[in-house]
Amino acid sequence: MAEYVQLQPEPGKTLSDQLFGLGIEFPCGGCTACGGCRIRLVSGAIPITEGMRDALSDEELAAGWRLACQAETDGPVSLDIEQWSARILTDESRVAVEPSEGFGAVIDLGTTTLVVELVDLATGSVLGVLPGLNPQGRYGSDVMSRIEFDLREPGVLTSLIRRTIGAMLAELVRGRKLREVLICGNTVMHHLFCGESVEPLSHVPFRPSASGARCFTGEELGWPGQTHSAAVTFLPCAGGFVGSDLLAGLIACGMHQSESPIALMDLGTNGEIAFGGREGILCTSTAAGPAFEGGRIRMGMRAGDGAIDRVEQDGSGLVCHVIGGDAPRGICGSGLVDAAAVSLTTGSLAATGRLSNGAKSLPLAGPVALTQSDIRELQLAKGAVAAGLELLRQEAAIHSSQVASLHLAGAFGNYVRVDSARRIGLLPRWDTPVHPIGNSAVRGTRTLLLSPSRRQSLLDGLLRITRHVELAASPEFQEAFVENMTFPSPPEPSRG
Amino acid sequence: MADLAQLREAIINGNAKAAAAVVNTAIAEGTQPMALIHDYMIPAMDEVGRRFECEEYFVPELLLSARAMKAALEPLRPLLASSGIQPAGKVLIGTVKGDLHDIGKNLVSSLLEGGGFEVIDLGSDVSPGKFIEAAQSTGADIIALSALLTVTMPSMKYTIEALKEAGLRERVKVIIGGAPVTQQYADQIGADGYSENATLAVALARRLMSGTRQATA
Repeated sequence: MAEYVQLQPEPGKTLSDQLFGLGIEFPCGGCTACGGCRIRLVSGAIPITEGMRDALSDEELAAGWRLACQAETDGPVSLDIEQWSARILTDESRVAVEPSEGFGAVIDLGTTTLVVELVDLATGSVLGVLPGLNPQGRYGSDVMSRIEFDLREPGVLTSLIRRTIGAMLAELVRGRKLREVLICGNTVMHHLFCGESVEPLSHVPFRPSASGARCFTGEELGWPGQTHSAAVTFLPCAGGFVGSDLLAGLIACGMHQSESPIALMDLGTNGEIAFGGREGILCTSTAAGPAFEGGRIRMGMRAGDGAIDRVEQDGSGLVCHVIGGDAPRGICGSGLVDAAAVSLTTGSLAATGRLSNGAKSLPLAGPVALTQSDIRELQLAKGAVAAGLELLRQEAAIHSSQVASLHLAGAFGNYVRVDSARRIGLLPRWDTPVHPIGNSAVRGTRTLLLSPSRRQSLLDGLLRITRHVELAASPEFQEAFVENMTFPSPPEPSRG
Repeated sequence: MADLAQLREAIINGNAKAAAAVVNTAIAEGTQPMALIHDYMIPAMDEVGRRFECEEYFVPELLLSARAMKAALEPLRPLLASSGIQPAGKVLIGTVKGDLHDIGKNLVSSLLEGGGFEVIDLGSDVSPGKFIEAAQSTGADIIALSALLTVTMPSMKYTIEALKEAGLRERVKVIIGGAPVTQQYADQIGADGYSENATLAVALARRLMSGTRQATA
């Protein structure tokens, strides 16, 4: 997978501007704090700045790593772009169809990634899929930094995302006439796409300004010709920051029809959790941070070529699996969880999260190692998620033994190993089967697209039984969060 | 005989019960409160801070130690008050308006208490008005503002502006902290200090107090 670019200097533009123009994300908004816009110099020169020195180690600098957000050059350069090797989860599984004529589209508008699907409304077949990165990413990687940017420069993010989706649709449609488009996404994505004010989401009590479904025509959105007459609907939000992507996930895993309680966890930057069954559903979001996507991890990267995605114990040593099979360049979320789980078992990591014997880092393979702060980031992320699920369970007053199944949505949930996730306490040690269900947001939204007559009642029913719980406000959450930051002790050996 | 070395260990290990027990025994034996605090408790918290700095300790350990410190201080409070011993300074602390995160704020609050400060915790989502009211009624030396969201950081600025308008800015020092906060931001909004983490906040508060004392001397 190519992620290699060659650039010539352009008058009046810094290299950073050029890279930005190419769509490289500056996750922290360009203040060098995160190191998330790493690029590797293959040839040419990019002077090392103070900010790069803070964010990167001497070895990394020597190996040619720089930060795109501060890159300048006066000659031609060729670069490896680390961000461009993302693995984006699409979904093409079949759902029930109520046939109608023409073509429709389903869009999963995520904070980081974007999936656009073209669907034949007569058969329900997926005719084409375009995955991409959300172009808003260059203005910050999490929803809060997007909100902050929109408050500073209103409208920029709205027109950017509308334009991008319009172009992606045009590419998929190729002359066919688009009748209907359904979009799902979290509350911030909803507000930014629909042009609603995000100001109420920037402070306590974080109430959306307009969380209902919003309808447009392709023409109103400024989309290309063949999409002009399409009826475009952004599905309604569930409450707080929890959006229609989670509602769609509930449909995909059948929570609204389930007799016994089940759980759904979408472990992205905003960990979204739902818990319940047809009698009632509780949902919440926890700020897990970007660790599961490799963010804020020294050698973290998305699950792309060169990422360690699996770590296993082999005698006294470790065996690391690298995506693409080449030399390891970094580690992604599932590799991080594995590495921590294995290290807890071998004793090189203590339950407190401290690397044993005062070690400064945990070597994995080649240049890739985990630092003590990487483990701390993981502790924060998994602590938030575990505390979120536990509090929803308590709020619902359901005993863990009653929970019939636990569904994991999203890319990370699809690749993380359940045993490792349990070992580090990211997933509870319930006797509950765990099912990775892939991109449930796309599947659930496609189900809605393909059942036009039932759509409204399905959504109304879901919204009626779903209640959003604001965790940040609860002292119990803060308590549970800290408690869940440590790693659980090893499981009792099973008897018999 | 109270085993005072055990008091130090209990605080470092976050054992609140053991810490309070040693203090109670020591009080019954007539040990001077200030000797306990200065020779054992503050050095113990300094050690906890050191371990946090070098990443040996993390938030859970820090919180447990802070709780142990609090438990050890509890029985000493009435003695300190009756003997007229002054705290290192009076700090008003709160998470600013719009923000509910209070783990970091609680940590700083406990560590400041451990460092000998009198701390008045206003909780979270605290409006500039509430800070002003409390500053007037308590005569605080320092106001510590916490924010965990980039979008609530401006509340720090508004609080400082409100203090100016109320004519209180010259009387109090303002220190700020929280994940998105930087020294640069502190300079920009005219705060007196910024601390990267909870343990450094205690050192910062001490430094500001010695500055105040010199200035008024």
